[in-house]
Amino acid sequence: MARPLRQSLIAFMTVAGLWAAPAWAAGMRDAVSSVDIFRSIGIAASVAGILLLILVQYVYRKRLSHSTYHRLLLVGVFLLPLTATWSTTATVMEGTKSVQACRSCHVMHPFVNDMTNPSSPTLAARHYRNNWIAKDQCYACHVTYGATGTLAGKRDGFRHWFHYVTNTYPDPIQYVGSYANSNCLSCHQGTGKWERVKSHQTLVGELSADRIACVTCHGPPHPLPHERTVAMANRDASRRMAGGPDGQ
Amino acid sequence: MPPDSDKPRGLTRRELVRVLGTSVGLACLTPLAGCGSFWERQTAIPVDSWHKGVCRFCGTGCGVMIGLKDNKVADVKGDDDAHNRGRLCIKGLATRDILYSEGRALHPMIRKNGELQPASWDEAMTLVARRFKDAIQANGPDSVAFYGSGQLYTQESYTANKLFKAGIGTNNVDGNPRLCMASAVTGYTTTFGKDEPAGCYEDIDHAECFFITGSNTLECHPIIWERVRDRKRSHPATKIILVDPRKTPTARHVDLHLPILPGTDVSLYNAMIHVFLEENFIDADMVEHYLSFQEGEQKRTFDDFTRHIAKYEPETVAKTCGVTAQDIREAAFLFASSKATLSLWTMGLNQQVQGTASNRLVSAMHLLTGHFGRPGATPFSLTGQPNACGGVRDTGSLAHALPNGRLVANPKHREEMEDLWNVPRGRISPKPGHHTVALFDAMNRGAVKCCLVMCTNPGQTLPNVTAYREGMEKTFLVVVDTFYPTETTKFADVVLPAALWVEKEGVTGNAERRYHLYPKLVDPPGEARSDLEILVDLATRLGYGDLIAARTPRDVWDEWRKVSAHSQYNFEGITYERLQKERGILWPCPTETHPGTKRRYVPGQDPMASGTGRFDFYGKPDGRAVVWLDHQEEPLDLYSDEYPLIFNTGRILEHWHTMTITGQAPTLKDIHPDYLEIHPYDAHRLKITDGDPVIVKSRRGEVELRARLSDIVRPGMVFATMHSARHLINQSTHDAHDPFSKQPAFKRCAVSVRTKTV
Repeated sequence: MARPLRQSLIAFMTVAGLWAAPAWAAGMRDAVSSVDIFRSIGIAASVAGILLLILVQYVYRKRLSHSTYHRLLLVGVFLLPLTATWSTTATVMEGTKSVQACRSCHVMHPFVNDMTNPSSPTLAARHYRNNWIAKDQCYACHVTYGATGTLAGKRDGFRHWFHYVTNTYPDPIQYVGSYANSNCLSCHQGTGKWERVKSHQTLVGELSADRIACVTCHGPPHPLPHERTVAMANRDASRRMAGGPDGQ
Repeated sequence: MPPDSDKPRGLTRRELVRVLGTSVGLACLTPLAGCGSFWERQTAIPVDSWHKGVCRFCGTGCGVMIGLKDNKVADVKGDDDAHNRGRLCIKGLATRDILYSEGRALHPMIRKNGELQPASWDEAMTLVARRFKDAIQANGPDSVAFYGSGQLYTQESYTANKLFKAGIGTNNVDGNPRLCMASAVTGYTTTFGKDEPAGCYEDIDHAECFFITGSNTLECHPIIWERVRDRKRSHPATKIILVDPRKTPTARHVDLHLPILPGTDVSLYNAMIHVFLEENFIDADMVEHYLSFQEGEQKRTFDDFTRHIAKYEPETVAKTCGVTAQDIREAAFLFASSKATLSLWTMGLNQQVQGTASNRLVSAMHLLTGHFGRPGATPFSLTGQPNACGGVRDTGSLAHALPNGRLVANPKHREEMEDLWNVPRGRISPKPGHHTVALFDAMNRGAVKCCLVMCTNPGQTLPNVTAYREGMEKTFLVVVDTFYPTETTKFADVVLPAALWVEKEGVTGNAERRYHLYPKLVDPPGEARSDLEILVDLATRLGYGDLIAARTPRDVWDEWRKVSAHSQYNFEGITYERLQKERGILWPCPTETHPGTKRRYVPGQDPMASGTGRFDFYGKPDGRAVVWLDHQEEPLDLYSDEYPLIFNTGRILEHWHTMTITGQAPTLKDIHPDYLEIHPYDAHRLKITDGDPVIVKSRRGEVELRARLSDIVRPGMVFATMHSARHLINQSTHDAHDPFSKQPAFKRCAVSVRTKTV
């Protein structure tokens, strides 16, 4: 291998390594999320790509053979940008799983506020405060399991985003379609508590076909439409601040 | 060969890019082009339209949204805007299927040569009218009777009551609420002068202590229970006390469980009041200004009451009740010391020989400690049927009663109703009719010749049922039901098919005084008709067409709400338009702009209450609620060497009443309730193993069940559900009843259990 090529590769590896290695190592300890890792790889690839192109074009051009020059251009113009594109997509796909991502639309504030309210009795709040779902609490219950589920989840997210930016959504928002019970069943089905209820057994078919929703008996999962108004939010806040029993 | 034959087949690269680009562009436009469904998740059950309604089953009265598809009920979900906040229990969800279950009664039937055979409506109704007329002519009006139900719509119960009491002239109008809520009625009326709870469901959201007694709320009123749990989830310091002989699923979630022996409630509540007195929890202002004391017919003072309660020291009572004195003291302390205590109860309290006394003692505990009329502080009885409160109790469709809390025995009340119904003075008989057990006893004796049974199944639900089956056999029994066969149609001379739920329109009143509307959405199957149509037809054929002038659900409701304006129940302001628009309204509601009443007897909140004091108990002449001095009587049907166990009855989550509806629902029918819970100690002694067929024998009859070994029951006690017709547990139960409410004591009798020898 030609010396300049080797040098370029070393430079690239160093830069990429500087970004990726600590992130990766940290990721192992769960302190850094996968989003951070994807983002680091993307940034590293971008920086490496630009650096490589500058070096190839302005520093090493005359010293490189024609074929090496072309190969390096291929790496700088296609492979590294492709890596950066992949990492951007992965970052978005992964990053939109977070509660913060959902909360970035104002429409979601009553839902997230309720979920993080330590005295809310909704299903979402109970799952949150009892740590039944450790992270990405919105995503965990709103994406159906399996590859098509992820796809449907992302499609929903895109549609929500589209309606949000074009301001074409109803307020208060309503859940569309039948909620996929598999989100609940994947954790609850088969547990002692679940099995103890006789009607769960006779309803297995109806539940897996989503013809009966778990949340009908065990919900509501979030504040109801009429509970999501500004007035309601203010009233709840003032109640919490007063700290006393709920007045009439 | 054409000249361009050397071109590659299919699309060129340019065309491919163009097609792809256009497709992506079009896909992005679909949400704008009205093809949003392409992007959205779909519903599992397609529905054309959604309609507001109410669940068919229990007295909670949950709001439902009913989805129609091709003029059939396709889906049912909870109504977010109703008090149940979109929740439904498993029975509520099953309403989706109940209209289309197997076993619907489709055609009128007449018994000929011992067999029920199809007949036309005219043939059947002519026969019914002729037999009723003949009986009235030959034996007087008291030889006919109506036995109704807390499941009929208000318009139907009101019409039946009016037809029999103001038309035919007999007070033989009773119904299954006598088996269910009668002790709650007498408990309320003897304490407050008026029936129905003072509080409402919203109180659950404000209570700091729940005193649940004689109720397996988790299984029998699951949506109420979820609301209780929500309160506890939001405010974990909220205490829940449960008094129930069994360690029911409800008991798993409570802070303190008192597994009391059935029939010893009076001792327990008196002992709790003993602690209130001892620990200075009595609200002196209440005693001074708002309460009076009574024992039988005698007025008593607070000092008399104190002396009476002195006999019920927790340490003395503990053995009677089968719980520890420490637990009684703890329960009393939690009850009295909370900021707002809410009591919930149902059949466990009502279905015993001291049902009335138990009911009024629970109210007394609230009144004495001032846990009344504030948000979260109230005694509150739960109801088993969707319209026992509104339809039967409010309309006075019981043998001793007249509408809006009036009594047959009171001449002034009779005159008021005669005037309101526009019938001559003296038309209403001064003689109270037969209450349920007496009615079926009168059938046994042959005193009642004809009986119209609507929407209920006494052939299964009566206590000591075997004893009354002979009477049903003898009587000309007309059974109007939605399902066929039932245990009662076995004895029917005429069976008439009735519409069910949203196949007819009507109003019901749930446990919190909320009147709400069931819309008619679909047509009944076969030749089935609404109960109102059947009653109107019968009235016309009996010659009372003029009296029963209101013939549509809307007209009857308008007549009824105007009648109510002449009472302290006043709900004239609950118009049909409001019922169609709103999710029900709590009475009293005297005007069309009145929002309804959450807490009765509180001036400023209850439009019927006057003055500026804390309370106005306007149901009593002196404006004071009555605290009764009630004594523990010897428990019913004492056990002996021959009958060493106590038999207790109840329900499970998945089934309702005699399973005529839930036993046919596809989602529920495979859950069998035919078992006998027996404690492993007793099972060991009796050499019974889990799953053994066993015979439960009482002094009246015996029933075969499968043993289920369980520590849900106490040692010395066995339990079975009342649901199944395959094993009629009421062959064993006792028909003794409360002296005031006449409600039978289903919750206690002495039995023996033995393995069935094959």
